[in-house]
Amino acid sequence: MFKLFKKDLTLFLHDRRSVILSFFLPVILITLFAFAYGSIGSYNGRSEPVELLVADLDLTGSSKEIVNKIDSLEDIVVVVSDSVRSRELVIKGEYVSALIIYKGFQDSLKYGNSIPVELIYDRSREMEIGILQQNLISTIMSSTGKIIVNSSIERYMQDQFPDIDKKTRDAILKTAIRKDNNSLAVKWTSIVGERNDTKLGLIQAVAGTAILMLLFSVAGVGTSILEEKENGTIKRLLYSPLKGSTILYSKMLFAFFISVLQLTAMFLFAWLVLNMDMNVSMSGLILMIISTSFAVSSLGIFLAAIAKTRHQAQNLSTIIILVMSAIGGSMIPMFIMPAILQKIALVSVNYWGIQGFYDLFWRVLPLEEILPKILILMGIGVVMTILSIRLFRKRIMKL
Amino acid sequence: MITLKSVYKTFGNIEAVKNVSFNIGKGEIFGILGPNGAGKSTIVNILNTLVRPDRGDVIIDGINIRNDGNTIKLIMGVVPQEIALYEELSAYENLMFWGGLYNIPKPELRAKAIETLGIVDLVNRKDDRIKTFSGGMKRRINIACSLLHNPRILVLDEPTVGVDPQNRNHIFEVIERLNSEGMTIIYTTHYMEEAERFCDRIAIIDTGQIVAQGTLKELRHISGIEDPDSRGTNLESIYLKLTGKELRD
Repeated sequence: MFKLFKKDLTLFLHDRRSVILSFFLPVILITLFAFAYGSIGSYNGRSEPVELLVADLDLTGSSKEIVNKIDSLEDIVVVVSDSVRSRELVIKGEYVSALIIYKGFQDSLKYGNSIPVELIYDRSREMEIGILQQNLISTIMSSTGKIIVNSSIERYMQDQFPDIDKKTRDAILKTAIRKDNNSLAVKWTSIVGERNDTKLGLIQAVAGTAILMLLFSVAGVGTSILEEKENGTIKRLLYSPLKGSTILYSKMLFAFFISVLQLTAMFLFAWLVLNMDMNVSMSGLILMIISTSFAVSSLGIFLAAIAKTRHQAQNLSTIIILVMSAIGGSMIPMFIMPAILQKIALVSVNYWGIQGFYDLFWRVLPLEEILPKILILMGIGVVMTILSIRLFRKRIMKL
Repeated sequence: MITLKSVYKTFGNIEAVKNVSFNIGKGEIFGILGPNGAGKSTIVNILNTLVRPDRGDVIIDGINIRNDGNTIKLIMGVVPQEIALYEELSAYENLMFWGGLYNIPKPELRAKAIETLGIVDLVNRKDDRIKTFSGGMKRRINIACSLLHNPRILVLDEPTVGVDPQNRNHIFEVIERLNSEGMTIIYTTHYMEEAERFCDRIAIIDTGQIVAQGTLKELRHISGIEDPDSRGTNLESIYLKLTGKELRD
């Protein structure tokens, strides 16, 4: 088996295109994706601020106060406009949203009426809307709430205690709406991804791209069996004292070896060049690399086994790998996918690999917590190997 | 050296080999002729134990192939119809790889690889990749790869397809040289002049059955075509008479 393995390795190394596709292309893609996900360079961990058009038609102290507060937020940049122009700009797609504060805003606050404020938006830009929603609600609620409470107390005092002197009334008001009385003491604490310096986007870029590229190179190894059948070398191997199963196992061993090498190279690159924090469970990382490589290499061989010709195998592999990678989170991070796709993703080898690496690098979980995913990957590998052996015996080794 | 007794082989509904029997003596060159799909390659695969006959016996060098297929593989070299080489490897690397499958000790294999490259006259191209070789050179290396384990029997399955006259002549010389050293040769071909040139005996096979076998003289007698003056077309006439002129798939 080692002789066949050595031959495949020599052939692989002689084929510069394969080496480039297996090692340099993933490195380039990982770097590009890491940039795209904003995980390297001068990125400080925050998203770019969202520009919000604001049309203040009320132009009162209260409306100006609200606009100033929104403008002071880190995630929002206020662009002052009028209501007609704001509408046009949102429709044209130049801005995601516009806040229109209608005339009578301050009075409504004072008299406890419904607040004449409207947020117009482009719902195709869900992520930016999400950022705006979160920030605007908290800002508007806290600011308007203070004004409403203030005017309500004032009105109550005037009704119930009309004779009270101004100094006493101001003191009561000041005490009632003291800042620390109003603020909701909800402490926001991020507890995931805090024990490791690696940014989420970088883990996604490395794990997602590495598994995608791994599938392509391993499918290449699989199709090489069909190529060997077509050019007669399989037949010649069978003329020698070698057993048919040895030929298949050596291909599988080679596919597994290339996968381990490729995955290791990707993580080394991410560590040395992209500053990926390797302060994680080493046994977990080794087992994740082994189990992912085993699952991916078995799947690659299986894809070749179900095809009848090399050409068919190449086309089939490309389609299946792209679909599986798309739903499995190699191309688009799982957390921004709809719930239904997140469920479908469970059938993808990419999903289990990427989630395992998330557990390792983002959640910094110990080996025992990652073990279920490792076992699932190993299980995928075993099933694919058994199916491949059966199919190959039936189709390839039969002359 | 080789005996086939009433051998049958069926693939699904197709009877690939029907009641085939022949004997090949030690040091003989035995030609197997037949149209496409006649069953030549199935017989080659049966001889090399890749295909198990449904019925009948195959005895090679005293060994029944059903009992000890591995020993048969060691005493037999097969030159496949395809150029079954790794194009990205050099001629020498190919020889070392294919020879290595027979567990020949490394130093011995190195010497044997160079010696075999000498036989096919390609020593000066030993480090060049196969993909840079001409069709004829590839055919010569294809033969060389089957000689490394010193087989006593060499099966050549249409070894001169697509080869120019010079390379073809060189291949003939190699075969004659190997035969003169005592190697038993089984040669399948479409080319009548090749079979006429060096086959001691010829079996003509059609639709899985041997329709005639013997020396050229015996075949002339069997077919009723006695034309010793037109030697170049004689076997072709016999062949067409015995297998018919209908086109085959």
